[in-house]
This record gives sequence, C-alpha cells and structure tokens, in this order.
Amino acid sequence: MSQNSIILKIIALPIAIILICLGIMTILGGHITPGGGFQGGAMITGGIILCILVYGLESSLLNLSHEYISILESIGALGFIILGLIGLFVAGSFLYNIGADFGNVVPSYIQSIFHYPDVTNAGIVPYLNIFVGLKVFVGLSAIIIAFAGFKKLGDQS
Amino acid sequence: MNSISLGPIIFGFIFGFIIGSQIKYNSKSTEKFTIASFAVIIIAAVVIAWQIGQFPFYDDIPINTAFLFAIIGLIFGKLVLGRKK
Repeated sequence: MSQNSIILKIIALPIAIILICLGIMTILGGHITPGGGFQGGAMITGGIILCILVYGLESSLLNLSHEYISILESIGALGFIILGLIGLFVAGSFLYNIGADFGNVVPSYIQSIFHYPDVTNAGIVPYLNIFVGLKVFVGLSAIIIAFAGFKKLGDQS
Repeated sequence: MNSISLGPIIFGFIFGFIIGSQIKYNSKSTEKFTIASFAVIIIAAVVIAWQIGQFPFYDDIPINTAFLFAIIGLIFGKLVLGRKK
C-alpha cells in the first residue's frame, strides 16, 4: 500500500499538517464564509488519507486508533443533539439558537454561556459546526481506514 | 474598533491539540521527523497564516488566528501526547 518514493515520504506529513490546519480554519469560519463542519472535516480527512496512502496503514504517522475514532464520533453526535435539546427545553424549539436568542426568550445568563466568543453574534452555530466537523473528520477517516484494511486483507487472500 | 475573536483562538488550539495527539511514530515507521523538521513546518504555517491575512474573521489581527493556533495546537498535542506507541 505504501509508496517507496523518498520525496513523497518527506513531504506527505508537512502537507497533511497544513491541510489539517486549513480544515480547522474552514470549520471555524463556517458561520461567516462558505464552508463549515462537513467541508472542513473532509479537508482534515484529506490529510489523513494522504498519510495513509504514502506511509501505509500500519506505519502511518497519523494513525487514528479505534478508541479515538469512537470517542470523537460520540462527542460529535452527542454534542449536536445536546445543544438541540437545550434549545428545546429552554426556548421550546429544537436547535433554537440560545446563544444569539433572536426571540428574546432565553435568560441572559444562559445566553452568555452559549454565546460564541466572536465579533459576530453567531450563537451556537460555530459549536454545531465544530461538532459536525469532528464527526465528519472521524467518520470519513474510519471509512478510509476500513478500505485500506480491506485492501490488505484482499492482498493476503 | 479593537476587536479580537477569541473563539477561533480557543477552538483552533483545542482542535489542533486533539488531532496532533495522533501524530505518533510506531515500531513500523521508517521515517524520522526531527525537531528541525517541525520547526520548518511551523515557519511555513506562520507564513501561510500571514498570507491568508484577516480572512475570514476580519478582526484587527492581520493574521489568520484559527490557522495559527491550529498549528500551535497540533505541535503542542504532538509534543504532549504524541509520543511513540
């Protein structure tokens, strides 16, 4: 699976790191620019794919363990649902933006907790982007790792 | 107006830290990235962040804080948790 080119092996990890940083930037700017959780998560996965293709699945320098993937996947899904449920219980509608509170139905201390520290009044939208980004990043990475593992199993058989 | 967005700084660092913790050498790795290699990566990332500029937050810092703190978090996570398997 891995490549033997020295140039590829030297340049893959730095490019993967830069790709990951661009993905994080895309996730965190998702509420004011095109992009967001899915796109940024897919960009981060691009770095993981590059490392797996160049170094191989077992010797990849960016190798995600099963526990790591399951924990982040759970945090992403649960965080999204919990934020939605908080809006349901506090304001009466699922995924109500309690950080921005355009309907003036949320107490100010709850609004200040969920207000994203930014120059915009985005509320909980960046947090939703972050949770979606986490989930997409580990979900797509799990698919790629599974495909790479299947290839290895096929070679063995 | 003096405005600094704390959100990209905090969450960029946390996100980078989470992913950087998985940059590990294992027993089958033949590659060796030294401290100097990571120093070069950091310098390149700072140049990229400077070239991106204020996009997309448009606060008063002329550098992309999310990108910058993502690379800081990545390196920090690699140093703290990303030791050998």
